Amino acid sequence: MKIGEPVVKRWYEALDEGKMLGLKCGRCGAVEFPPVYCCNKCSSTDMEWTEVSGKAKMLDFVLPSPLFARPENASLGFYCYGSIELEEGSYFSAIVIGVSKKNKQSIVARLPVPVKAEILQRDGFKTIAFRVVE
Amino acid sequence: MSVKLGKLSRSVSIIGVGCTPFTDIMTHPKTKGLTEGELFGWAALEAMNDAGVEAKDVDMYFHGQGSPQQFSDYITPNAQVANWFGMRGKAAVHHSEACCTGYLALDLAVNAVASGKHNIVLSGTIEITGSAAAPGKPAHMRRPISFLDIMAGMPTLYDRAYTRQLEAGLSNAIDDVAADYCRQYGLTDDQMDDVLNALAINHRRSSARNPLALHQKEYKETAKEAGFDDPMKYLKSDSFNPRMGEYLRASGFEARCDGAGAVIVCPTEMAKQFKQQPIEVLGIGTALLEGSQPHLEKRATAEAIRQVYELTGVKPAEIDLLMANDFFITSGLLAAELSGYIPAGEGWKYILDGRTSYDGDKPINSNGGRTAFGHAFAASGLADCYEAVKQMRRQCGDHQVRKLPETVMLRGFGGGQNLTAGIIRTVQ
Repeated sequence: MKIGEPVVKRWYEALDEGKMLGLKCGRCGAVEFPPVYCCNKCSSTDMEWTEVSGKAKMLDFVLPSPLFARPENASLGFYCYGSIELEEGSYFSAIVIGVSKKNKQSIVARLPVPVKAEILQRDGFKTIAFRVVE
Repeated sequence: MSVKLGKLSRSVSIIGVGCTPFTDIMTHPKTKGLTEGELFGWAALEAMNDAGVEAKDVDMYFHGQGSPQQFSDYITPNAQVANWFGMRGKAAVHHSEACCTGYLALDLAVNAVASGKHNIVLSGTIEITGSAAAPGKPAHMRRPISFLDIMAGMPTLYDRAYTRQLEAGLSNAIDDVAADYCRQYGLTDDQMDDVLNALAINHRRSSARNPLALHQKEYKETAKEAGFDDPMKYLKSDSFNPRMGEYLRASGFEARCDGAGAVIVCPTEMAKQFKQQPIEVLGIGTALLEGSQPHLEKRATAEAIRQVYELTGVKPAEIDLLMANDFFITSGLLAAELSGYIPAGEGWKYILDGRTSYDGDKPINSNGGRTAFGHAFAASGLADCYEAVKQMRRQCGDHQVRKLPETVMLRGFGGGQNLTAGIIRTVQ
C-alpha cells in the first residue's frame, strides 16, 4: 500500500467482491481493520493489504437504544452493538446480529462469544456486520 | 499509546470567570432574544469584570462553538462576535470539539500564556442549541429546531469512511458505561436504574439552588405534581420518565439549552494583582478515541487522568470536588472511580446514599451537571469551570459544597470523542 492510495474506496470495492480487506503492518504484524495508512500500534507506514477471515470474538455489548434506531436495521432482526476483536487482532465496535433482550443474559454468561463477519447491503454500498456463531 | 506531559514553561492561573444563564433564548425571560454576540459578550465581559481587567488589558481570545454552521449560519464564529466585548483588532482563534470544546478552551488559553506569547488571555465558548439562524434574517430572528433535528445531526460527529457505516459511535455510547459497570460489579439492571435515578435526583437538588441552571425544580416537586409521594417511584415510571436506551432514561440524558461561558487566565506571578483569589491550573491531561473504539469514554478518561496525575503529583485523596461533563448521566460515576475520587466499585453506593450531592462528602457536578444545569454543547465545559472556581471562592450561595474545595478535577468529554482531565488548585 502506498500513501496516497484510495484505501477507503478499495475497501468498499472489495466488499462488493465479497472480500474483507485490512492492512497488515510490516513491522509489528498488527492488522488495521478497517484499513488506514499508518499502524496505530507501532507507527509504521509499511502496510500490506491482507484479506481477513471475518472470524472474531464479541467481548461485550450493549443493546440498541430506541433513540438511535435506524429504519434500515429493521431487516436485521435482533441485534446489539458489540466490542469486536478480530482473529487478526483489530478491536472496534460493530453491529452483532442475534442478540436480543431475551437471550442477553445467556450471552453475557458466555462472553467472549465467537462471531463471524458478514457483508450487508446498504443503500448504494456494502458494509459489514457480525453474527453470533451458535 | 500513552503520552508524558511536560511541565508548563510558566505557571498559569485563572483570574476571572463568566457564565450566562443556561436557558432557551427563544422563551426564557432572562435571555429571550439574545444573539451569539450578546451571549458571548455577556460571558466575556462578566469574566473581565470578575478579574478586574478591561478589554484593553486582554491580549487575545479563543472562541469555541461546537456547531456554528448548523445553529448560527457561521463558519468564522470568532470573527462574527468580535465587536461585542471591546477587543476589536485583537487576535482570535476559533476551535470546535463539540461537547468537549469548553474544557479544551481552558487548555488552549493556559498554553497560550504558558508559552510566553501572551500574558492575559480570554477563552469563551457559546452554543445555541434550541433554535437555528433564520436564513437571510438578522441574528435575533431564529427558527425553532426539534430534538429530532439535533439527533439527525449527531452522525456528523463520526467518521464517514467507516465508523458511521459500521454503526459504531453514538449508537453504542449511550449505555456503554452502565452496561460495563453492571458486568464489572454485578449490579442488576434494576439496581442500576435506582443508581441513575438517584443521580438525577441529586443533580436536580443542585440545579434547583443554582440561579443559572436550566431546571429550577427538584424532582420531589415534579413527582408530587404528577401524584407521586416518592421521586424515585416517579423516575422509575416508564410513562413519566421513558427509557432512552437499555439503561438511560430521559432523566439521565442531557437537557439541551443555550448559553455561554468564559475564563481569563494569566501568569500566576501576575495573578495576585487582580480582584479575585487566583486559581492555578496545575495541568490538563488530554486524549482522544474516535467513535469506532469500544469503551472510548472509559479508556480515554483513564489516559487523561493518568497524564495529569503523573504531571502534577496530585493524589486522588486531594481532590475536593469533581466536575464531569455528563451528557450521559453515567459519566460522573465513571470519572469518580477512574480518578480514585471514590473507590472503584463503590460509587453506586455513594450515589444511593446521597454522598455525591452538592451537600455530600464527595460532591460531583455541584451545579447540577448536563441533565439539570443544562447542556449548551460547547459552552458547558466553561460553565463547569465557572462552577468550580466559584465553589473554590465560596461564592455559590445555596448550592455551596460543605467543605471549601482547594483542588478540583475537571473531566471533559465530547467531540466524537475527546477526553480531558484538568486539575486546578487555589493559590495560597
